[in-house]
Amino acid sequence: MHEMSLALEVCRLAERQVGRAALGSVTAVAVIVGDDAGVERENLAFCLETLLAMPPFAGARPVLVAVPGDELRLDYLELDDGRQDD
Amino acid sequence: MAVRTIEVRERLMAKNDEYAAQVRARLAAAGTVALNLVSSPGSGKTRLLERTLAALDAGLPMAVVTGDVQTQNDADRLARHTSRLVQAVVTGGACHLDARQVLEALDAIDLPATRLLFVENVGNLVCPASWDLGEAARVVLFAVTEGEDKPLKYPKMFRTAHYAVLNKVDLLPHVPFDPDLAEANARQVNPDLRFFRTSAHTGLGLDAWFDFLRGLVEAGRPAGVAG
Repeated sequence: MHEMSLALEVCRLAERQVGRAALGSVTAVAVIVGDDAGVERENLAFCLETLLAMPPFAGARPVLVAVPGDELRLDYLELDDGRQDD
Repeated sequence: MAVRTIEVRERLMAKNDEYAAQVRARLAAAGTVALNLVSSPGSGKTRLLERTLAALDAGLPMAVVTGDVQTQNDADRLARHTSRLVQAVVTGGACHLDARQVLEALDAIDLPATRLLFVENVGNLVCPASWDLGEAARVVLFAVTEGEDKPLKYPKMFRTAHYAVLNKVDLLPHVPFDPDLAEANARQVNPDLRFFRTSAHTGLGLDAWFDFLRGLVEAGRPAGVAG
């Protein structure tokens, strides 16, 4: 079940990107998962939901994007930057 | 709420691949050829390595890194056939070896005195396919007690392998298994696969396997494999 290893790597990359203190502000984590990446998307989504529900995260939503090929990468993060909408 | 989007676009395997590159560099510097041995549980990886160590180790110094979810039973079995190091990695539940584990295992191996390194991966035809361990080539085993359609069911493993060993062929008279169909299925996934048919139990076909390994070490790397 290497999906949990991959989910942990997603969390590590997110922390490196925004810093640990900002992880609670992350609202969405988007991962591109190729059809031939050897990854069960529902399984990865479950692992991410579990990890993103726990501190230092605060319930960010996993977004898994299916593409052809074997691509497997963290695509983008969405953050609530605390400001009111203009 | 104002939402800010941060583009990351980073490969999830990037860190593993960094470690794999370090493994590859250390092996290249030492002149050691490494093979990553993968299969489902019970296909005969450990038995094949036992026979290989017993037959070749005297003239072809080898080391083995074994990966198991629990126990170091495979390492203990292999250590009976060689005075050289067999390094066990117990993954503690993980279904595959990663390159960091192999890099750490290399610290315990006298690489310049090792011509051939086997990495016996965790028995699993799914997860190990995704993890580059820094090997020169990947060898996938399957046995005649499995289905001929294994390559079609687990295409990534067979697509990323360079060599295939069809093992337990001594059982062919007793099981409904068509080895030609199995090879055809594998070549449908990966036309470049080179096949060996062996019985690690009786020794059938092992001479060709041993000759292949000798040639591999002589050449310094697998024929037709980049790197």
